[in-house]
Amino acid sequence: MTIENSLFAALAANPAVILIVGAAVSAALPAMMRRPAMLAFVSASAFQLAGLGLGNYGVLSIFEEPVAMMRIDETARLFAIVFHIAAALNIIYAWRTQDRAEVFAGLSYPAAAVGGVLAGDLLTLFVWWELAAVASALLVFAPATRATYLAGMRYLVIQILSGVLLLAGVALVYRETGSLAFGEIGLRDESGAIKTSGLVMLLAFGVKSAFPLLHNWVQDAYPKSTISGTILLSVFTTKLAVASLVRAFPGTEELILIGAVMTIFPIFFALIENDLRKVLCYSINNQVGFMVVGVGIGTASSINGAVGYAFCNIIFESLLFMAVGAAMHRTGTSKASELGGLYRTMPMTMIFCVIGALSISAFPGFAGFVTKGLIIDGAGEAHLLWLWLVLLFASAGVLEHAGIKIPFFTFFAHDSGKRPQESPPEMLIAMGVSALLCIAIGVYPQPLYALLPHQAEIAAYKPYALYHIVEQLQLLIFAVLAFAVLKLTKLYPPEVPSTNLDTDWFYRIPGRDLLRWAAAATSGVWGMSWGFVSRRFDEALGRVLAEHGPEGRLARSWPTGFMALTAAGVLGLVLLLAFSVGR
Amino acid sequence: MDEREGKSALDKATGWADRPVFVRGLIGALAIVGLLSVVASFIPAFRNPHPHFGGIEFPGFFAVWGFVAFMFIVLVGQHLRKIVGRNETYYDDRE
Repeated sequence: MTIENSLFAALAANPAVILIVGAAVSAALPAMMRRPAMLAFVSASAFQLAGLGLGNYGVLSIFEEPVAMMRIDETARLFAIVFHIAAALNIIYAWRTQDRAEVFAGLSYPAAAVGGVLAGDLLTLFVWWELAAVASALLVFAPATRATYLAGMRYLVIQILSGVLLLAGVALVYRETGSLAFGEIGLRDESGAIKTSGLVMLLAFGVKSAFPLLHNWVQDAYPKSTISGTILLSVFTTKLAVASLVRAFPGTEELILIGAVMTIFPIFFALIENDLRKVLCYSINNQVGFMVVGVGIGTASSINGAVGYAFCNIIFESLLFMAVGAAMHRTGTSKASELGGLYRTMPMTMIFCVIGALSISAFPGFAGFVTKGLIIDGAGEAHLLWLWLVLLFASAGVLEHAGIKIPFFTFFAHDSGKRPQESPPEMLIAMGVSALLCIAIGVYPQPLYALLPHQAEIAAYKPYALYHIVEQLQLLIFAVLAFAVLKLTKLYPPEVPSTNLDTDWFYRIPGRDLLRWAAAATSGVWGMSWGFVSRRFDEALGRVLAEHGPEGRLARSWPTGFMALTAAGVLGLVLLLAFSVGR
Repeated sequence: MDEREGKSALDKATGWADRPVFVRGLIGALAIVGLLSVVASFIPAFRNPHPHFGGIEFPGFFAVWGFVAFMFIVLVGQHLRKIVGRNETYYDDRE
């Protein structure tokens, strides 16, 4: 397919632009037509994506430098496909939500993510990057309470910070390479020294992919959105960042350590967290950690693993969010201490949730298993024993918080006495399709494998080798048995309503106090200096008045006195002028 | 049990997942599959022909690591609550 090289043609060919137009059109339509229109636009965009095929599109000249606004390679295509699937499933799940802001965000946010992964140059990436920040913030603000307003502002500040870092990084990369093309950047130069451009770009991507210590905006903002808003949020921002890392920083060793930490620490926070949607937010950190490790190892098969795992994760992670969201829709809560025993009246939702849980835990036969092994094997191939042990440890941790805690405390555990209705049909359809995809990919991964970037390596990979199944079953089943032992011996900690402090505490409590103190101090210092100056001025004026005023000594012949004063003033002014001009 | 009075008979009956026979059956089935997987790892046909870390990939290694990891996470991890746990309205009271 050839596309004319004009800005308009480049925009018109972009699937993301179709989605953006769709967002505006759908939000403007009468309530009943909004969701069907959204589905139609997602279909049109997917159709356009399929029609384009791999390649560069919309080659324009920016700063006299030819850049392709849209670059569809295997990785970008894979992310764009799964973003379309996730957007479509979310539209179905939230079929009865007609709120204009949510409808608009429901297409513009996926649009920004699709545009970002397809971006061929860094300026285009920046534009979509910022749009993703703003569109997703609409979802955080959507419930319109004081708590969501505050969380939304914090979220926006952090997302915009990432955008500002990205813009600075783009400028630095341009200065260094003279090109705006979005390709491999890398953290270090040939001599092994850290490049400023690489560091700033890595930080920009790091904020959005929620690196350790930069992670807490996820738990702070996501669970405060609406039920369907949280599901949508869980998909795009962090995975757009992962896709960017794959393109710019493959094989960057620092990512191995960063990713390894990401897989571990959320496990412990998820264990003690009572709000199951927050547990899933920690799960996002943990899951993205696996992907970051895959990017850091940087071999063909570990990149396959990172990208393939992102694809599967988007489906099963949002399935888990959907199931908890459905329980919340029916009971009004997502807290483990208030849920339990829902399997009696929500059996279908329970089954879908369990399928999501089996998938994220990577049980053989489900979506996680066929892609996660690529990353863990990558650690083995790189002969990093510590990393390999950490990833296996983290896999047991995934089983704990996402595989067991989510379905167990929602649908089983102690009977909450709640007997809600089964989920509404649109939610069941969205969850059912997701569950079906989890099983289909798990049983028959070849179509997914065919989309991965490194075909030679994936052709040699046998996920269902006997030893692979045996090893995985040992790991998972003995971890489940450990859970059984802990439950039977009552050593498993009870769920208690609580707030657990995390890095957001620093800017929410001391940071806020510091800001208030700084504001008060600035205002105080300003008041003092103004008072000092105005008092001196008043005093000076008083003295002048004493001499020259109506009652003053020199005012006895006041016209002369006034003349003298005016002449002195004018002479002074002239002197100043002459002095400044003469210099 | 006063609060449960007035609820339907369905509510009073123990659900299928809460019956001891189901719980015992599930744990038993898992134990059997788990043991089989350990036994299988002693048979060469079920072993990785090219282990990355031959030194520690002894038969049953994954079972031990999975069990120990899970125990560690729960038994050690719960103490994190003592450090970061606050009451539920912690931020609501302060913002």
